[in-house]
Amino acid sequence: MSFLPRRLKELWLRLHWLSGRSRFSAELSDEMDFHIESRSDELEQSGLPRAEAVRIARREFGPRLRTAEDTASAWQIQWLEDLFSDVRYAARAFRRNPAFAGAAIFCLALGIGANTTVFNITTSFLFSEPSCRDSASIVSISVGGNSNSPMADYKFVDEAHLLSGMAGANFEREVNWQDGDRNKRLYAGVVTGDFFTTLDIPLRLGRGIAQGEVDTAVLSERIWRSLFGADPAILGRKIILEGRVYTVAGVLPENHRSIFGFGISPEVYVPVTHDNEYVQFYGRLPKGMNIGVARERLRATLSQLDVIRPVENWKRTGNLIVTGVTGFDMLNQQMPGAVTAFFVMLLVVVGLVLLIACTNVASLLLARASSRSNELTIRLSLGASRQRIIRHLLAESLLLSVLGALAGIAINLACARLLKDLVLPVPVPIRLVILPDWRLMLYSLGMVLVSALLCGLLPALKAVRKDVNAGLKQEGRHTGRTWNLRSLLVAGQLAVSIVLLAAGFLFLHNLLRATAMDPGFNVRRTLWASMRLVPDRYSDPGQARQRALVNTAMERIRALPGVESASIAHHIPLNENCVDSIGVRTDLSAAPMRVRYQCNAVGPDFFRTLSIPVLRGREFSSVDRIGSQPVVIVNQAFAHQVFGGADPVGHAITLDYPGAKAQTIVGVVTDSKYVTLSENQLLAVYEPYFAKDEPVHLNFVVRTAASPGAYVKTVSDELSRLDSSAAVEVKPMSEALGLALLPSQAAAVMLGTMGALALILASIGLYGVLLYSVSRRTREIGLRMALGASQSDVLRIVLRHSLVLVGSGVAVGLILAFFAMQPLAFFLVPGVSASDSTAFLAVIAVLAGVALLATLAPALRALRVDPMVALRYE
Amino acid sequence: MLILRTLAGGPLHGYAISRRIKQCSANVLDVEEGSLYPALNRMLLKGWLYAEWGVSDTNRKARFYRLTKDGEKQLAAEAEEFKKLITAIQLVMKTA
Repeated sequence: MSFLPRRLKELWLRLHWLSGRSRFSAELSDEMDFHIESRSDELEQSGLPRAEAVRIARREFGPRLRTAEDTASAWQIQWLEDLFSDVRYAARAFRRNPAFAGAAIFCLALGIGANTTVFNITTSFLFSEPSCRDSASIVSISVGGNSNSPMADYKFVDEAHLLSGMAGANFEREVNWQDGDRNKRLYAGVVTGDFFTTLDIPLRLGRGIAQGEVDTAVLSERIWRSLFGADPAILGRKIILEGRVYTVAGVLPENHRSIFGFGISPEVYVPVTHDNEYVQFYGRLPKGMNIGVARERLRATLSQLDVIRPVENWKRTGNLIVTGVTGFDMLNQQMPGAVTAFFVMLLVVVGLVLLIACTNVASLLLARASSRSNELTIRLSLGASRQRIIRHLLAESLLLSVLGALAGIAINLACARLLKDLVLPVPVPIRLVILPDWRLMLYSLGMVLVSALLCGLLPALKAVRKDVNAGLKQEGRHTGRTWNLRSLLVAGQLAVSIVLLAAGFLFLHNLLRATAMDPGFNVRRTLWASMRLVPDRYSDPGQARQRALVNTAMERIRALPGVESASIAHHIPLNENCVDSIGVRTDLSAAPMRVRYQCNAVGPDFFRTLSIPVLRGREFSSVDRIGSQPVVIVNQAFAHQVFGGADPVGHAITLDYPGAKAQTIVGVVTDSKYVTLSENQLLAVYEPYFAKDEPVHLNFVVRTAASPGAYVKTVSDELSRLDSSAAVEVKPMSEALGLALLPSQAAAVMLGTMGALALILASIGLYGVLLYSVSRRTREIGLRMALGASQSDVLRIVLRHSLVLVGSGVAVGLILAFFAMQPLAFFLVPGVSASDSTAFLAVIAVLAGVALLATLAPALRALRVDPMVALRYE
Repeated sequence: MLILRTLAGGPLHGYAISRRIKQCSANVLDVEEGSLYPALNRMLLKGWLYAEWGVSDTNRKARFYRLTKDGEKQLAAEAEEFKKLITAIQLVMKTA
């Protein structure tokens, strides 16, 4: 029999014994009775009276209890029983010293709570698994590199029956939901009839949209709750969407995650009703088919389609992408690098916070172990084995880390609950479904166990390494060495928290700067009135109906009292953007120049309404419409890049695509911000609104005489009156800047919180170490004062110690921070630099304050030490 | 080793083991009761012995110990070791 199985068998027998302990001891007792009785029988036979025989037999046998104990110890799992007693002992010790235990558990809880919460957000945002059956067999299909493709193509692929099922969905749609006499714009997922069945999406109530249905809808749990009061009889209820009656077929569960991922959650699902709809393709692979095979089959079918219904200059098979819908597959496919980078940064930051928490606990444990070295040496000298004492110290850190981890998980659960109701100010329906993740909890528990055991092991080894005699003698005669392990930990911790704090301050500064920043147009006296029309009502050829509506709307708004001017635009700057990158020819040079510029189509008076000065030429007027001479207005940056020093007004530009006409530049306007406040100056080209096709979304801009808040209702009423099926939203332009501020806001909040957390943790550590080091030097201080040292001398000693500690931590931290913050420049507005000295100065000020506070208390305590008391301290 | 050898003749209960060792060694070796039972239990744990309840010749309930295959191997190994040791000692005693 080999070693391992024998050991296992032994363990099994021991565990078996543990489970049936009382039976075993009863059996042993029976056996001992039998032994004694047999011996008595023998003695009785040799002529002794029974009572005497029993007495002798008992004496011969010796103490029963001892035998029983010895026998039991053969069976016991010694370490397990010792562990229990160690943990019990540790718990008693913590009850005696609640401040220490409290501080350590608090540090760990904060570190773990923050860490797991950010992990939760990240995984939920980047790696969430969609709510459907067997998501591993679902693939996302992107035809010719486009995310959405026409329904006609979808039908063709679907009818080829290549996969075990197809599903199509467009997650970028909106619908107007009629609520009384108003309409509310809802984010909609427009899905094919096979969407719910192919993906097999679980529902909370009712069923999904079925094949062939055109007037059923499935609500998200959030909408069902907020707009329909969680009506249990919602199924079958009629609701009006886009001016048409729909029947509610089902409600999705609360933790539904859409197949699209990234937290995108439509508020309502409706069936595809038009053949001109565009959808994203999804497919379910038959059992045993891998993605490669599916891709080849799809390619074959799509190349047939390329032959049957060719598209000019484009092949559907040209850039066919078939990927899974979970984990990295999706991430690689669809996520912009900046967002991933943000999350990576966040993970690094919380990792640092956890590191700080662990070093904190380590230094607390170290301090505690040193202050207890007297106790430990006494135990050693009384014969406790070194191993036993190490085990006992480890049990303490084990208990601490388990309690800390549990508290951290509690924090994590509380945060997840808060985050669930968070609504981000972005024009996409992002809702994060954050569920407690047991893998994450196990991971953090494991991480903490390892770190705390390491933290515990160092002081434990240090405590027992010493010679017993030396230990007993030396107690209390601390030599005041500045650089021991603990001080290194604190200095390191300070350095790391400086990096976090500096980043936090930088983003806070950035946020303040960005908020105060001039976007280049008036936001204090302007309103943004958006009006979403139901497309079916304005689908007449030539869009005459919508043109009439827009004209009437402009007239009515301009006629309102207090309105100075009003206009319309395709895109509202800093909220939506449209970028074009193309070669441009001018009438001055034949060679096309490739430029990347912001495009927009704006109505008459647009620049006056937003107070964007027209430097040369004119604004658009009502004569600039379809059929009239093509004209454009450009911004300064465009004029400068394309025309150099020449005045562009009167010249023409021609975009470098087939059939493009020359467009005459009629005006030059000043530069303003288009995408984010932090952008470097972008080029812009404006076309006349009425020279383009009408969009579904009307964006009016209104200039008001007084604060715009007062006009929200009148403008909104006026627009609603024009079309009872339109969803109207009016808000002051200043509120609409939210999206432009979001990156620096999010970063400021996140890093600021983490920095504050790090500061709290580092302060606790600093305070603890200084307090401890002074109390260790009580005797020394007493001696010095007895020998005539003045109070200021003593104060200087104490202050110098902390100054060295803090100074070196700060110095290292500043160097680290300087390099760590360079990559953050991406998120900053112009005028705020990553090596901004104010951030560093603020951080140093805050830390110096904390350090002073942490030093002052022990320093004053040191001064109060009575020399006699100190000398008799032992 | 002594306990294992005693049990090689067949299953015995604890009291019988101590008596048999005493008898066979002509009263020289006396296994103390206080250490007999812990020793038996350690061997149970190692898997050398197997224990079952039975009835003794005096009609009392007793626990009988029996050698397992592992126990037999162990006995053989220990006996071999012991023989080597004795031979070595004897050699030293003769020659030195």
